[in-house]
Amino acid sequence: MNAFRGVGARLPFVDGIEKVTGAARYTADLPAEGALVGMILRSPYAHAELLEVDTTEALKLPGVRAVITGADCDLPYGVIPIAQNEFPLARDRVRYYGDPVAAVAAVDETTAIEALSKIHLRVRELPAYFHSAEARQPDAVLLHDSKPGNIEREVHNEFGDTAAGFAAADLVREELYECAEVHHAMMEPDAALAAFDAERGHLTLWSVSQVPYYVHLTLARCLKMEMAHIRVIKPFVGGGFGHRTEVLNFEVICAMLARAARGTVRLVLSREETFLTHRGRPESQIRMKLGLAKDGRITACEAEVIQRGGAYGGYGLVTILYSGALLHGLYDIPAVKYDGYRVYSNTPPCGAMRGHGTVNIRFAFESLLNSMAGGLGLDPFEVRRRNLLQAQTETINGLKVLSYGLPECLDWVEKASGWRERRGHLQEGPIRRGLGVACSHFVSGSAKPVHWSGEPHAVIILKLDFDASVTILTGAADIGQGSSTIITQIVAEVLGLGYDRLRLVANDSAITPKDNGSYSSRVTFMVGNAALDAATDLKRLLITAAAKRLKVTEEETEWLGEAALVAADPAQRISFDEVVEEALVGTGTLMVKGTFTCPPEFQGGKHRGGAVGSTMGFSYTAQVVEVSVDTELGKVTVEKVWAAIDCGRAINPMSVEGQVQGAIWMGMGQAISEETVYEQGRHQAANLLDYRVPTMVESPDIAVHIVESLDPNGPFGAKEASEGPLSGFPSAFAAAIEDAIGLRFKELPITQMRVFDALQKKPPLAVVDAIPAVPAKGGA
Amino acid sequence: MSTLPDFRLMRPATASDAVRMRALHPSSRYLAGGTDLLPNMRRGLVATDVVIALGDVEELTGLHEEAGSLTIGVGVTLATLAANKLVQERLPALAQAAAGVAGPTHRISATLGGNLCLETRCRFYNQSEPWREANDYCMKLGSDTCRVASKSARCYAAFSGDLAPALMVLAAEVELLGPLGTRVLPIADFYREDGMAWLAMAPDELLVAVRVPLKNGWVSAYEKVRVRGSIDFPLAGVAVALRREGDALVGLRIALTGVSSRPESVSGLEAMAGHPLDDTALAIIARQVKLGTKAMETTLIEVPFRRRITPVLAKRLVERLWGMVGDNPIGPS
Amino acid sequence: MKKLLRLSVNGKPREDAVAENALLLDYLRGTLGLTGTKQGCDGGECGACTVLVDSQPRLACSTLAHSVAGRSVETIESLSAEGNLSRLQRAFHEHLGTQCGFCTPGMIMAAEALLRVNPHPDRAAIRASLAGNLCRCTGYVKIIESVEAAAQEQPV
Repeated sequence: MNAFRGVGARLPFVDGIEKVTGAARYTADLPAEGALVGMILRSPYAHAELLEVDTTEALKLPGVRAVITGADCDLPYGVIPIAQNEFPLARDRVRYYGDPVAAVAAVDETTAIEALSKIHLRVRELPAYFHSAEARQPDAVLLHDSKPGNIEREVHNEFGDTAAGFAAADLVREELYECAEVHHAMMEPDAALAAFDAERGHLTLWSVSQVPYYVHLTLARCLKMEMAHIRVIKPFVGGGFGHRTEVLNFEVICAMLARAARGTVRLVLSREETFLTHRGRPESQIRMKLGLAKDGRITACEAEVIQRGGAYGGYGLVTILYSGALLHGLYDIPAVKYDGYRVYSNTPPCGAMRGHGTVNIRFAFESLLNSMAGGLGLDPFEVRRRNLLQAQTETINGLKVLSYGLPECLDWVEKASGWRERRGHLQEGPIRRGLGVACSHFVSGSAKPVHWSGEPHAVIILKLDFDASVTILTGAADIGQGSSTIITQIVAEVLGLGYDRLRLVANDSAITPKDNGSYSSRVTFMVGNAALDAATDLKRLLITAAAKRLKVTEEETEWLGEAALVAADPAQRISFDEVVEEALVGTGTLMVKGTFTCPPEFQGGKHRGGAVGSTMGFSYTAQVVEVSVDTELGKVTVEKVWAAIDCGRAINPMSVEGQVQGAIWMGMGQAISEETVYEQGRHQAANLLDYRVPTMVESPDIAVHIVESLDPNGPFGAKEASEGPLSGFPSAFAAAIEDAIGLRFKELPITQMRVFDALQKKPPLAVVDAIPAVPAKGGA
Repeated sequence: MSTLPDFRLMRPATASDAVRMRALHPSSRYLAGGTDLLPNMRRGLVATDVVIALGDVEELTGLHEEAGSLTIGVGVTLATLAANKLVQERLPALAQAAAGVAGPTHRISATLGGNLCLETRCRFYNQSEPWREANDYCMKLGSDTCRVASKSARCYAAFSGDLAPALMVLAAEVELLGPLGTRVLPIADFYREDGMAWLAMAPDELLVAVRVPLKNGWVSAYEKVRVRGSIDFPLAGVAVALRREGDALVGLRIALTGVSSRPESVSGLEAMAGHPLDDTALAIIARQVKLGTKAMETTLIEVPFRRRITPVLAKRLVERLWGMVGDNPIGPS
Repeated sequence: MKKLLRLSVNGKPREDAVAENALLLDYLRGTLGLTGTKQGCDGGECGACTVLVDSQPRLACSTLAHSVAGRSVETIESLSAEGNLSRLQRAFHEHLGTQCGFCTPGMIMAAEALLRVNPHPDRAAIRASLAGNLCRCTGYVKIIESVEAAAQEQPV
């Protein structure tokens, strides 16, 4: 017998054994005997007109099988259908250092490197802009002709009456916050493998994608091929965090090379090239203004955000819309005004990164809220409790909140961290300690997909055959977050079957149903619901078959998963194998499809861009961060984090903990040390030495508590768990430092240098705007 | 991209064989733990047709005490040094420096010699070939111009080995083997203030050992500033050795790393001999350390911070050692 | 130029013609097809390529293949050579010490080296020994717990 539980089980990942044994094949590991080596020539200029790309000499080199340039693809691509302005290989213009210009396929790496050196560029250099302000100057050269002022997208909206809100406030404060650009730095560098079947004219591409379906569409577009002639396969993927939620140039280039070479090409990018491919979180300036009443009620919020988006559109317009939309949905705020500017610059393109669009603005909001709580003599917990939403509700910008476990999250972290007893009482000696709190939220899938085709949001197929095993077919991309495991648990729960009967096959366009991909934390909610739908249907068929074999009605049949019996007479019992035998009579192999569609009423407000931020359920997180600060050297150590997440229902609590820990820790990286650095547009930190991903030494213990609010629409009540927790960390961290040393930091990352300099300038503990050590009043 | 340039690999069994091979192949490179040289070769920073791997030379891996000093072969790994009881007890600065280099796995391969000869580093130099080409290269490789100081006649790449400053305050000597035999010099004289030619070693010489006196009454420590607690090179490292008798400072030596093209011995500390460690003394220390801190924009972390924090770190180490001896007047023997 | 390389890989003696400039990483992945050992960076920065050489952890990306001639090399593939997971592999699997899995082989090999010399490490020792292995998914919390769980199963 199986010791089995479905939903709620701390099930090890269904694909975990391959990972711990080394058997898991990632794209660079795939056997491809005789594959050619692909390599990309990248622009050495930050901004230049491309007058000529001369490949003559390279083509003559023995061992070179293909050389391609921008001339080989004249259709731009991009994840947002209305904002496609990127070519796999630059045409006419290069816009950042690292922009792909040409590519070669050769018999080996040495030949490929030599071939690259024989491609000659003739250019006319153009002024280059590395910061938003430079790019926005009136006389700046436009990166894209159709975008005046180098503004990719401006967003202006106001919900409620902010002027009235500020007038009614007892305390109004405005601050400027700045966040450096950060990058995903998933452990697996980018890679693709493409095989072109010259006889048939068919192409197969293996890639590291989070969105194989978008890759499929883009290959068809850029290579002008029939979609039916393309097959896209995603093998094991070593993380993504948003880097791979849009089609990346190297994927298209690899396919183009394979076709040009009429063979198989492996293209493995270096870590440096992976950094240049980028799509990270943009450098942001945020002007945040809040109005608070004496009792802590927020009366109005006004925010202006400027994002340095890099050279191409990508997800940019979604990012700048998200920043505004997700000012809503966490607290009850009567009036919000938002002005967002997404700016083109001669730096690698930004894109989606874990906590897409919300992380930096959440840092600003929560930081200002903490600081104003101090100004009003209120405890940061109390201020948050004064502004809670009451589910079920709709926010002023049209977002639905049907489940809301934030109050319980706050209660837990307050108690677990010893907030009341310890805050303000930790300051002794040259090493000071402090506590800080923040909240955050995130969508469980964007309710409106970027490619709106009228299809369901998610499709799952279950195949049941003579061997009495169930194969789950899904296009959902497991990139390490464990989505395959969650889907399997849902199917196991519904059917009551042991995991040894279940197999999951994912991401082969020839086999598995289409899925939009792993982004915006959509998989558990949407694909989970489709899995629930499919499994429910299959169960119905199985109960019918069981009833038939048992010669009773379906109502009289009791379903035990591995067996079925007559409820009134348990001795009349048949095994699952017998049920399957019966179910296949006259029909053969069963293929049951389940789908999920977000109803239109969840797809956001009617205003322009209103679809961004819309979702069927938000996750909620509260976290307390404890730091110690060495006041002589300015060194800050994160001692401990307590986090509570409302993820609706934890389908796999162990996985939820892992996601929350990973998210908070990634937020910590952005808060303490990570940032990209450009020297005249050249990325100087495009390696894992200078881009400071935290090591085990400075990584704290992170205690996770799960609050199950049971969302009415999530599968078994589940919502997302892996993005929301990230965005609370930076402000909780800043607040903890302030609690420890009385200095407030408004720039990320809060490096030792910044803390040391601030301590040198100001006497330590000269607390500005002191926060009372212990709140006067008790909790709500 | 991992293909290394083509080279012949030679594996001498003795130090003198190694020196002979080197004489025959003047453009060859010695390879010890590989943690510095091989990543640099992968980035195209080092071109050589012959690599002389020292891994089989057993005579370079000795660690023995005699006549009041400890002789350490350059092939001794950093992990071995850090774990050695005698080094921990008698030469704590060296143990601490070794224990903090890069990450734990690096230290198992990396050697004393490799760390002492560590290639100088710079944000304009430690980049890929395409990056450096796009930047028109730099003085250290491929150009006449130092990108850190464009008018400079020399390269400012920074030395960031951790062990050198520790060995400097411990008054160590290095032993070099050349075709004509060995010579010994104080470790401070092993370095030059030039990012391109930072080792005062003839092309045909091989660093074979370090000799550290085991003196009674001295205490020492090493600490550094870096962004992360592992992997990173030091932004600034400080080694201090101190001798206290009662309330008087009898000896004080401070050396720095990461803040110049060579490990810097802090000068002007002799005047404090015989005085207590009072505020005046601490102010002198801070001033002198600041003078020795010649950090340039070689790292992504800004210079003013590295210049300002180094004296703070030095003062703190001095005070800690002073206090340690105070608590235990005899001091570690 | 290729030269004969004799060594032991995962307990089996091998003789292969290997280029003198070949990295251990490329020999393992390319020549032997042992792709469990990963390349995560451009040289020596991430720990994903950690293997054991005579029971000590080594970065295969910063080691010449010929410099381990005559030595015993162990990769992640050796730990479950008899079909079942090793203690560490099982612990990483059951305690979710692996998410995307890309750092996992290197992380497990570094932990294996630790447990061989220190069967019952405390948290500080675990952190110190694995500090050169980057992971981007877990925040390390469950990696540390996995190593602890494996150590607990180890006979005292």
